[in-house]
Amino acid sequence: MTHFLIARLLRGVITVLVAVTATFLILRVMPGDPTTMMLDNRVPEEIRQQLLKDFGLDKDLFTQYLIFLKQLFLGFDLGTSFVQRVPVMDVILSRLPWTLVLMSVSMLITALIGIPLGVIAAYRKGSFLDQAINALSILGIALFIPWLGIILLYFLGLKIPWFPIGGAVTVGLEGWDYIWDATKHLVLPVVSLTIVHLASYVLYMRASTIDVLNEEYIRTARAKGLKERVVLWRHAVRNSLLSTVTMMGLQLGAIVGGAILTETVFAYPGLGRLIYEAVKEHDYPILQGTFLILAVTVVVVNILTDIVYSYLDPKITNS
Amino acid sequence: MENTTLVKENVPGSLPLSIQQPRTSPLREFIKHFRRNRLGVIGLFGILALLLLAVFAPAISDRPTGYGDVTNMLQPPNAQYWFGTDSVGLSIFDQVIWGTRVSLYVGLTSAVISILIGVPIGLLSGYYGGRVSHIGMAITDIFLTLPVLPLMIIMAAVLGTGISNIAIIIGLFSWPQIARVTRAETLAIREKQYIEAARAIGTKESKIIFRHVLLNAFPPILVNMTIIMGTSVLSEAGLSFLGLGDPMSWSWGTILQNAHSTGVIIHAWWLALFPSIAIVVLVLSFNFLGIGINEALNPRLRKR
Repeated sequence: MTHFLIARLLRGVITVLVAVTATFLILRVMPGDPTTMMLDNRVPEEIRQQLLKDFGLDKDLFTQYLIFLKQLFLGFDLGTSFVQRVPVMDVILSRLPWTLVLMSVSMLITALIGIPLGVIAAYRKGSFLDQAINALSILGIALFIPWLGIILLYFLGLKIPWFPIGGAVTVGLEGWDYIWDATKHLVLPVVSLTIVHLASYVLYMRASTIDVLNEEYIRTARAKGLKERVVLWRHAVRNSLLSTVTMMGLQLGAIVGGAILTETVFAYPGLGRLIYEAVKEHDYPILQGTFLILAVTVVVVNILTDIVYSYLDPKITNS
Repeated sequence: MENTTLVKENVPGSLPLSIQQPRTSPLREFIKHFRRNRLGVIGLFGILALLLLAVFAPAISDRPTGYGDVTNMLQPPNAQYWFGTDSVGLSIFDQVIWGTRVSLYVGLTSAVISILIGVPIGLLSGYYGGRVSHIGMAITDIFLTLPVLPLMIIMAAVLGTGISNIAIIIGLFSWPQIARVTRAETLAIREKQYIEAARAIGTKESKIIFRHVLLNAFPPILVNMTIIMGTSVLSEAGLSFLGLGDPMSWSWGTILQNAHSTGVIIHAWWLALFPSIAIVVLVLSFNFLGIGINEALNPRLRKR
C-alpha cells in the first residue's frame, strides 16, 4: 500500500515538473523574448536591455530554467503580471477559491447523480430506461458548454429571473446572506458543467457494472440467497466503482477545461475567467501561472483519488 | 477477382495464415453488420452530408467577409437570411456552412496527428513490455492527467491562431487515449498464435509489429479516432469561443464568440442556436459512427 502510494506521489511530482517545463519552454522558445511582448517597440533599446537583465533574461536558457524553478519551488513566485504589475501568485490566489468551489460542487453532484444512473442502466440493460439514459448521455457529450450556458442564462436568468446572470456574489453581503447569494450565483454554472460531464460518469459506471454483474461472485452472492438490493449495491457497485474512481481522476483535466468555458460564459471570477482575460490582454505570466496551479490541483486530486482507490480495492490494501 | 484478394490481405482482422482464411471476407462481414446498425448508418450519413456541405460551400453560399448587409443587421431568421444575420449584417447561414470546413479540417488533422503519436507509443510499449512499457505509459498518463485546454490556450496564444496551428495543437494533446487503446490491444494480440507463428518462420520484428499487430489492433483504434474527431471539434470551438480562433476563417466557435463578446447573444438567439446545432450534429455523427463500427466489429456488442 505504501509502495503504491509512493509510486503515485512520484508520478504526481513528475507530472508537475513536466507541466512546469512545458510552459517554460513554450514561453521562451517563441519568437522574440518576453520584453518584445511587454514593451512598446518605441521603447529605447537600452531600457529593454536593462529590463532583460532585471528579469534574468540575458542568461542562457538552462540558467533561466534553474532560476525559474528555484523561484517557483522555494519562493512560490510565479512572476509578475504584465498588465496588472502585481505578483501572479496574488492574482491567482484571489481567484482560485471560486474555481475550486465550482469544480468540487459540480463533481460531487455529477457523481451523486451519475453513479446511481449508471448502475440502474446496467441493471436494467436493454430496457427502455437504459436506452433513454444512454441516449441522453451521448447527447450530453456532444453539447457545447458555452451554448448550454447561454440557454440557461436566457431562460433561467433573463426570461424567468430566478438566478443572477453573472458573477459569483453580490458585493456588500455578510453571513448567511453572503452564502445564500453565492449559492444562487453558483447554480447555473454548476448545472451546465454537470450536464456535460454527467455522461462520462454514467457511461463508465454502466459499462463497469455490466462487466461486474457477469462475474462468478455475483452469481455466488445470489445463490447464497442475498437480496437483489444487497447483491447490486454492496457486492457489484463496490467493485464497479473501482474503475470509475480512476476515470474520475483522469476526467478532471477535462472538467478543468469545461470550467474555463463555463466561467467565461457566466463571468464567474475564477481561474477560467482569468485565463480568458489574460488571453485578451496577452498576459503570459498569468496564463503560465494559472496553468501551473490548475495542473497542481489536478495532480493533488488524482493522488487523493488514488488513496480512495487503494482504500476501495482489497488487492492493494492487503499487499 | 484481383480486387478481392487485395482486400483480404489488407483488412483488419484477417488472418495471415492462408489455411485459416475465412469463407467471407472480413470487410464484407463488417459491412453486413454495420448496415444493420441504425446509429452507425445515421452517423455515416451525417458525416457525408457535412462533408458535402464543406466541399460545396462556395456553390451554396457566399464566403462571409468584412461587413455584410449593413441595412439588415441582427435580423432574425427570414426568407432571405435563413439563419438570420449578425451584428455586422453577415449571414449566419453562410458562416455556419463555411465553418463546416474549419471543423472537419481540424477534426481530421488532429485525429491523424494523435494517431501518428499515439499508435507507435502504444504498439511499442504493448509489444515490448517491461521498461519500455513503463516509460511509455508514464508519459501517456502524464499527458492524460494534465488539464489540456489551458495548455492549448497558452500554445495557441503564443504560436498564433492560424487554423493549421490550432489543429496541430489539438492533435498534440489528443493522443493519450489512442496510445492506451493501442497498448491494451497489442498486449492481447502479442499472445496470439499467429504472432508466435510469424515469429517462428523468422518474420522480422518490425514487420510483426507494424503489420500483424497493427492490422489486428486497428478496429478499436479507428473507433477511438472517431471519438477524438468529435472532441477535437469541441476543443476547436472552445478555443475559438475564448478568442483564439483563426481570424481569417469562419469557425462555429467564432460565431458564438462574436455574439458573446459584443453582448448581443442574449437577445439574438439565432446567433447561438445554429452554430451550436451544427456542433452537436457533427459530434453526434462522429460518436454514432464510432458506436456503429464498434458494434459491427465486436460480436459481443451486437444486438441479435
